[in-house]
Amino acid sequence: MALGKAPPAPGETGLGVTALDVSTLETYGTHTLVLLRHGESEWNLENRFTGWVDVDVSEKGAQEAINAGRLMHEANISLDIAFTSYQKRAIKTLNLALEELDALWIPVTKSWKLNERMYGDLQGLNKAETTQKFGDEQVTKWRRSYAVPPPPIKDDNPYHPKLDPKYKNIPKKQLPLSESLATTIDRVLPFFRQTIAPQLRKGKKVLIAAHGNSLRALVKILDNVPEDKIVGLNIPTGVPLVYRLNRNLKPVELPGHAELISGAYLGDPEWVQAKISGVKNQAKAR
Amino acid sequence: MSKKATLVFSRHGESEWNVANIFTGWVDVDLSEKGLGEAKGAGELLKAEGLKIDVAFTSYLKRAIKTCNLALEAADQLYVPTNKSWRLNERMYGGLTGLDKKETVVKHGAEQVQVWRRSFDIPPPPLEKDSKYHPSNEAKYKALDPKDVPDTECLKDTIARVMPYWEEAIVPELKAGKTVFVAAHGNSIRAIVKMIEGISDDVIPGLEIPTGTPLVYELDADLKPIASPLAVEPLKFGRYLGDAEKIKAAAEAVKNQTKVG
Repeated sequence: MALGKAPPAPGETGLGVTALDVSTLETYGTHTLVLLRHGESEWNLENRFTGWVDVDVSEKGAQEAINAGRLMHEANISLDIAFTSYQKRAIKTLNLALEELDALWIPVTKSWKLNERMYGDLQGLNKAETTQKFGDEQVTKWRRSYAVPPPPIKDDNPYHPKLDPKYKNIPKKQLPLSESLATTIDRVLPFFRQTIAPQLRKGKKVLIAAHGNSLRALVKILDNVPEDKIVGLNIPTGVPLVYRLNRNLKPVELPGHAELISGAYLGDPEWVQAKISGVKNQAKAR
Repeated sequence: MSKKATLVFSRHGESEWNVANIFTGWVDVDLSEKGLGEAKGAGELLKAEGLKIDVAFTSYLKRAIKTCNLALEAADQLYVPTNKSWRLNERMYGGLTGLDKKETVVKHGAEQVQVWRRSFDIPPPPLEKDSKYHPSNEAKYKALDPKDVPDTECLKDTIARVMPYWEEAIVPELKAGKTVFVAAHGNSIRAIVKMIEGISDDVIPGLEIPTGTPLVYELDADLKPIASPLAVEPLKFGRYLGDAEKIKAAAEAVKNQTKVG
C-alpha cells in the first residue's frame, strides 16, 4: 500500500458492524460455504469485455480482496480449503483474503471450470464501442440472456484461449469459443458435484473465490434460482457471501439473507445493499 | 524416450525477522519489502530462462507461500497447481526461537551458537510448550500427529521429516517428467539438495543457499541428476540462475549474520 494514502473511510469497507458471526451461523445447517467475487480489474477500469482474458486486479480490487479477508476475520470465519479459477484476478483475490485470515497455508485447488464466462469474440472490445457497433438490444442480449452466447471467438483473435499456455491441457472440444450463462453452468456444475461437494461432505469449511458468472452458476445450483432471475442477480464484488448447507448440501435460509437467495453477505447491511444496487457509496462518519 | 524432469528450488528472501536478526524457525513472519522484491526477481529469472512450471510445492509458512505466489505471478504462471506442506517448513529452532542472533552469541559464545546453527545432529534447546511461539498453539498444526510437532530440530531431524514428503509428493511428479518448483527454506532445501548432490553430513550444514535465486536441477528418467558446467562448488549438479557474482555475495551475507563486531 502506498505510504501517505488515507485509510478507507468506515462507510467504504463495511467493517465494524458485525451483522453476522460464525457462532450464530453455526446454528443453521451443517456445512459452511463462502463465495467471494473478485474486485475491480484493470479492464473494469477500461470498460472492456474481459471473459477469459487474464487481466490483473486494480489497486482498488486488491484492497477489496484485503477488505473481504477482514470481513471474514471479523465474523470469526475459519476455513479449511479453497477453490478458485485459473485467472489471476480471482487467485490474487483469494490469496490476499486468506492472508488477512492468517489462512495462507490452507490447500487451494485452481480450476478453469471456475473461470468467468468466456465472452467469445467480444473479449477485449470496449463496451461503449460494442454497443455503438451492434446496438444496445443485441449487446444486452449477449450480456444478460440466459442461453444466448456472444459470437464465437475468431481464429485470429489475439485473445483466443488456444494461445494461452494455461489451457494447453484442455481437450480441444472442451475449450469454449463462447459461453452463455447456461453453458457456464454446464461446466461449473460437474466441478461442484465431483470436486467441491465431497469436501463439504467431509465437513470442510470451503471458500470459493471466483467471478460474477461462475458464482451466479453456483448460486443457481444451490438455491435453484429461476433462469429469468439469475441473469439479473448482482453478486457484489469483494463481499463474502456465506452459505450454510444441511447434510444434503441444500442451503438453509440465513437471517439477513439476500433477495432470492439463502446466503447472507458479511458486513454492514447498508453498505452491502448499496453494493448490490451498484450505488456509489457515501462515506459515513462513525 | 526417457522423460527428463526439471527441479527448481527457490529459497524465500528476506523476512521481517531477518531484518531484526532474530532466530525464526517456525514462527510465521512475513517477507520484508526486500524479500517481496526477491520473490518477484526469482520469478523474472524463471521467465527469462523459459521454465514452464507444471506443479509447485511450498511450506505452511507465509514467507515461502508468498515467495511461491509472487514468483509464479512474475513468471505468468500463477495458475499452476500448488501444494503446501508443513514438511517443507524451515528447521524448527527450539528455544532460540525469537531470540536476537548477536545477543545469543554474546550470551552463549560464538562457538556454541555456531554448533546450534550449523551442526548436523545437535539441536538447540527445546522450546517450552507454554511459549507464545510454540507451534502447538497454531491452527495450522492442529491436524498434525502431536508427535510430529517439534519442540526443536537439528538439521538431521529436519531431513527426517522432509524426505517422506519428497518421496510421496514430489518424486512422482518428477518421475512423470514434470517441471517442479519448490519454494521453501534454507534447511528444507538443504535436506533435498544433500541427497541429490551426495553431500556429507559435515559439509551440508555449511552449504549456503542464496535467497531468491532459483537453483535448477535436470534429472534423468531414473531421477539421477545431470551434471552442470555452471554448478558452483560444492554443488556438482545444481546451477543458479542469474548473476554469478551476486550469488557469491548473497551466500556470504547469510554467513555473516552471527558475526559479532
